[in-house]
Amino acid sequence: MPIIEMKKVFLLGHQQEREKIFSLLHNLGSVELLDVKSGTTWAEFEALLEPDQPPEDVSKIDTIRSDIRFCLDFFQRHFPLRKSILEQFTGKKLDLTSGQYAEYVKALDRIEEIHKSCRQSEEKLVRIRNEETQTQNLIGDLQPWSALDLPLELVKDGDWVLMGLYTVAAENYPDLQDALAGNVSDYYLDEVFSDDDTVYFFFSGLSEEKPVVDDLFKNEMVTTITFTNLSGTPAQNIKSLQEKLDTLKKDRNDVLSEVESLLEHRSMLMACYDYIDNEYAKNQAVANLGRTNNSFLLEGWAPVPVLGDLETMVTGKTETAVLATRDPEPDEDVPVLLHNSGPVEPYEVVTRLYSSPKKNELDPTPFMAPFFFLFFGICLSDAGYGIVLGLLAYFLSRKLKLEGMGKQLINLLIYGGFSALAFGILLGSYFGDLIKLPPLLFDPLEEPMLMLIGSFVLGLIHVYFGMALQAYRNIKAGQPLSALYDQGFWFIFLNGLILLLLEFSLIGQLLAVIGAAGLIITQGRHQRSIVLKFFSGLLSLYNITQYLSDILSYSRLFALGLASVVIGMVVNSVGDLVAGSIIGYVALVIILVGGHFFNVIISTLSAYVHTSRLQYLEFFNKFFEGGGRSFQPFRVKNNYIDIVETDEG
Amino acid sequence: MEGIEIALLGVALAVGLAGSGSAIGIGIVGQSAAGLISEDPDKFGQTLLLQALPGTQGIYGLLAGFLIMQSVGIIGEEIVPLTPSQGYSFLMAALPIAIAGLSSGIYQGRVLSSTINLIAKRPEEMGKGIVYAVMVETYAVFALLATILMLFGIDV
Repeated sequence: MPIIEMKKVFLLGHQQEREKIFSLLHNLGSVELLDVKSGTTWAEFEALLEPDQPPEDVSKIDTIRSDIRFCLDFFQRHFPLRKSILEQFTGKKLDLTSGQYAEYVKALDRIEEIHKSCRQSEEKLVRIRNEETQTQNLIGDLQPWSALDLPLELVKDGDWVLMGLYTVAAENYPDLQDALAGNVSDYYLDEVFSDDDTVYFFFSGLSEEKPVVDDLFKNEMVTTITFTNLSGTPAQNIKSLQEKLDTLKKDRNDVLSEVESLLEHRSMLMACYDYIDNEYAKNQAVANLGRTNNSFLLEGWAPVPVLGDLETMVTGKTETAVLATRDPEPDEDVPVLLHNSGPVEPYEVVTRLYSSPKKNELDPTPFMAPFFFLFFGICLSDAGYGIVLGLLAYFLSRKLKLEGMGKQLINLLIYGGFSALAFGILLGSYFGDLIKLPPLLFDPLEEPMLMLIGSFVLGLIHVYFGMALQAYRNIKAGQPLSALYDQGFWFIFLNGLILLLLEFSLIGQLLAVIGAAGLIITQGRHQRSIVLKFFSGLLSLYNITQYLSDILSYSRLFALGLASVVIGMVVNSVGDLVAGSIIGYVALVIILVGGHFFNVIISTLSAYVHTSRLQYLEFFNKFFEGGGRSFQPFRVKNNYIDIVETDEG
Repeated sequence: MEGIEIALLGVALAVGLAGSGSAIGIGIVGQSAAGLISEDPDKFGQTLLLQALPGTQGIYGLLAGFLIMQSVGIIGEEIVPLTPSQGYSFLMAALPIAIAGLSSGIYQGRVLSSTINLIAKRPEEMGKGIVYAVMVETYAVFALLATILMLFGIDV
């Protein structure tokens, strides 16, 4: 069966063996743990259980974990480990042998010291950055005054003379000049610098005229500029500040080179992070246990196939633990684990991207897989592209060590390559029209209607298959009449309409009438009054639009198949335009390689997403509900590292 | 006007409008994507994939334009003399992908812009976001289909 059967497991053990048993379970990685205390079964034993004591280690472990995280983030900020575009999809981890891993984890006690150095460096860097910003701001403020050849400490109001630096909006400056000339007897005004909207000027006058000057300045909205604690001319100050910036830069480089010398610990930190993170998960899991003074009880779900391993582990490696299992009860929330074997397995990724099936629900993967394979091939439908895609995906699967859904996706693409190759040969397309070979079946460019009708027929089969699966579900659920009413009558009705369309009028009419009558009688069966029954039955015929649009939706197979081939032909004809001279042939090769590669990528993307859509909307909605909870076992999870087996051992 | 000019207007509309739809859509996604990258540069690959999705409308438009150019002989041997009626047929055939390409490109871009927000919070749900975007693209595919069927039906 594609959905693995689950059993509830209970494990009773002695407190002394708790940690050992947890490590074993963690490494086995195939039991999903539940919170014992939330289970109703145990409510009556509550008095026996010890209250939760926060495991003393948890907060300590958490601190170490966040310390390592800090160091790694700090390294990443200043000396980032770059990921290639491919790695951004697949993730990139550090490969370690188990020996190296053990070696690194032994260095756990050095973390505090490394963390301290990182923290100090970080503080220094922050201080340097702040100083830099301040200095740069000050330089920016001084810049307009650099032409002023006057020590700044002298620029202040004295007993007899006013002296100061001011700015004013450029449009007000002429007014200010006029007003000063008209109202103030003796003064000195010097425009030091001006840009588009501001004039920077030096002003000096007599102290006795201060009120008049202040008034004028206020009217024209003049701003006073002061530089406290600066001596020497602005130009001198700027120069010394620049020097300060240089020193700061040097300081920063010094700190960074200190950080760089810490970088050698990065691998160790990564290993330790994963180690500590897993320890943390184990400690968290302990909180879910039911405990008495000397014993503990653990509750969880385990897939039936691993029960044997679990049994061996418990009896073989522990002294006190006892394992008990039982079948799930009807109302229990059983997690779902899909298991498909062989060629169907990669298509699990399509189901999982949609939703896990509910418990006791049919896993749609094996039913969907052949259609996915076919439709994907039709959407790409080019032998050359199929080969390129297959090789590309195969190369990637060899190069990247992928797990889980990534691996399934790559395998799905490899199969897709085969499918496209087959349809390319059937429909006579090799890199567009680069290689002209006659099609085995027919040429869709010559006979588009045949291709379109072919798509509809495939769609009809797909939809009927979905209906058949729902009928099967109904029968299995003990409602054979529902299967007849909801699927059987529709099947008769739709076939009648199709026969009418094909001008088998007599039998077509007969089937259509039987089907429609059946639907009108049965589709309102959930209503109470006879009138409502009749009208909802009648109204249900309106669902024909749903079926119609479902079938029409398969025309995308034709459109996308044609699009990928015709884009290939566009590439070839653009190539044709440039071919001729030597440069032309070079350009031709570039255009052909680049253009076809681009088309493979974009057409594969379209083929994948549109084929998925046909499964999700046209197929799944006939019989599949989804919404199950996926199985999440308690297992070792690594963020940064991969443990690889060495050749020697 | 001779037939050929009218047919070329069809080419211009198909390539231009559908291309604009893609350009706007890709632009919208790009803005959101750049915002996400400022927080998490490692998502570049994923966002690039999403940004490429509204590009298909432009390709469909180009494809339709190319088919017309080939039928009327702009690409290839000699220009086929067209009657105005034939020219209008080509123009009409170009319209579905021109119109639906423009609107679906823009709206697909909007959906994907939200998908960028989605993967900022839950990167593992990218597949679902793509499905939403494909719902929009469906209508560009149908328009392309109508365009192609019309083009195959025109006698020159």
